[in-house]
Amino acid sequence: MRNILAVTDYIFKQSFRNRILNVLILFAVFTIGFSLVISELAQEAEIKIVMDFGLFAIGLFAFLTLVLSVTVQMFEETELKTLMLIMVKPIKRHEYIIGKYMGIIATVFMNVLIMLCILMVIISLRGGDPWDIKLLAAAGYSFASVALLSSVALLLSVVTTSVPGCIIFLVFIYALGHLTIHLKNLTADSNNAVLKFCVDVVYYLVPNLELFNLKDKIFSTEALFAPGYLGFVAGYTLLYVAVILTVTSVIFKNKEFY
Amino acid sequence: MDIIEIKSVTKVYKPLDFWKNDRVVGIDNLSLKIKKGEVFGLLGLNGAGKTTLMKILLGLLKPTSGSVNILGSNIEDEKIRAKIGYLSELPYFPKYLKAKEILAYFAEILGLPENTKKERINSVLKTVRLTEKAETRIKGFSKGMQGRLGLAQAILNDPEILFLDEPMSGLDPLGYKETRDIILDLNRRGRTIFFNSHILSEVEKICNRVGILHKGKLIDVQPAAKVIKKYKNLENYFVRMVAPGGVK
Repeated sequence: MRNILAVTDYIFKQSFRNRILNVLILFAVFTIGFSLVISELAQEAEIKIVMDFGLFAIGLFAFLTLVLSVTVQMFEETELKTLMLIMVKPIKRHEYIIGKYMGIIATVFMNVLIMLCILMVIISLRGGDPWDIKLLAAAGYSFASVALLSSVALLLSVVTTSVPGCIIFLVFIYALGHLTIHLKNLTADSNNAVLKFCVDVVYYLVPNLELFNLKDKIFSTEALFAPGYLGFVAGYTLLYVAVILTVTSVIFKNKEFY
Repeated sequence: MDIIEIKSVTKVYKPLDFWKNDRVVGIDNLSLKIKKGEVFGLLGLNGAGKTTLMKILLGLLKPTSGSVNILGSNIEDEKIRAKIGYLSELPYFPKYLKAKEILAYFAEILGLPENTKKERINSVLKTVRLTEKAETRIKGFSKGMQGRLGLAQAILNDPEILFLDEPMSGLDPLGYKETRDIILDLNRRGRTIFFNSHILSEVEKICNRVGILHKGKLIDVQPAAKVIKKYKNLENYFVRMVAPGGVK
């Protein structure tokens, strides 16, 4: 545990102090602030516009934070070979993977927290309820979706040797993660068994990111905020992350450092 | 007592390459024993396989065949890894962290006791002349200062064996002397040092024994004193061994 926490702290400091990430946070704050302007343009449902736009920004910038964190880490580890000095120390490779994962999600969490605080202040200024449980749950699930994607990013960073390659795959999985449920719905009535099988394989392998998309339904009457649904999504996240981190650790254990 | 034992190690890169275009023999059936308290210098041209051999010793690469014993055990054992130190060539550290934070991180992983950790970090910073830069972010470090910080993390646990890959790279003449003094001091205290270097004049001043690696093969191993007596200096010996038409 000591080693895991040491790596977590190291990765978090390294990412959170990064200048590019700091600029990204500023940009995110600016974008959320921009929701005020947009809400002025909309004559009605001002709070709804602010919430929709703010939650969209949180989701997008949380993902961009992940992409940047992974890029920075991977560049330093593969191009500048910082990892070799760590791997010869008495640390188990799975401890490093878990610590790194926790460091990355701690960075994403801090960024989400900053953005959410700004959004809550804006909502409060507009006369809305900043402590609306649906708002907090939607932001929490944006974070959970990126936490899940972080495990995928870690796996990609271990199996690929090129930073651009890893990022392209990650963006592809991000897009696919939002589409698989629609693909499954489209093929539900199809008679083509092969097509159905292929879609099913993709559906179960790729993370289903639409499960986390509560921001579009925040004003709907669907029972998406019921404890049962939220618990199911939390369980799905934990299971998916555990499986992916296990696979990543096994691959990383046998990795050679050229 | 043999503290490092390399038995018939061969490393082939991309051994499964069907067309054999990318298949390269990095190390070819190499055997070597290093005794406790020795300073062993491995010499070789660029691409001779020096770094490959060091990475195999450290467990960063797996040998295609053969075996390696460090302190009588396998390097994959964390207890063994806690007793070694390693400095890579031109080490790099994250630029937004401070020197002290980096050493604290390594100290934590090395499992140094809490009550002596701070003291030990200050001590190694003093040894490598970085006390005044302890709270400075790496961003403001020169290449030589990063090299010295690399040496500081390598000696943080007062290792029984110190592996140094081109430790003089990027250092100024004063840095050469300081690194040499640190190596000699560790050796006086019974530590074993295994290192690769191109800077033959420094190797000459430090090593008890030298080996020459050429095209993945260990072509000669000699006591440094004997070499100097016979060839006057290491350069003559090295050129004689690796030059075309030299000793086969």
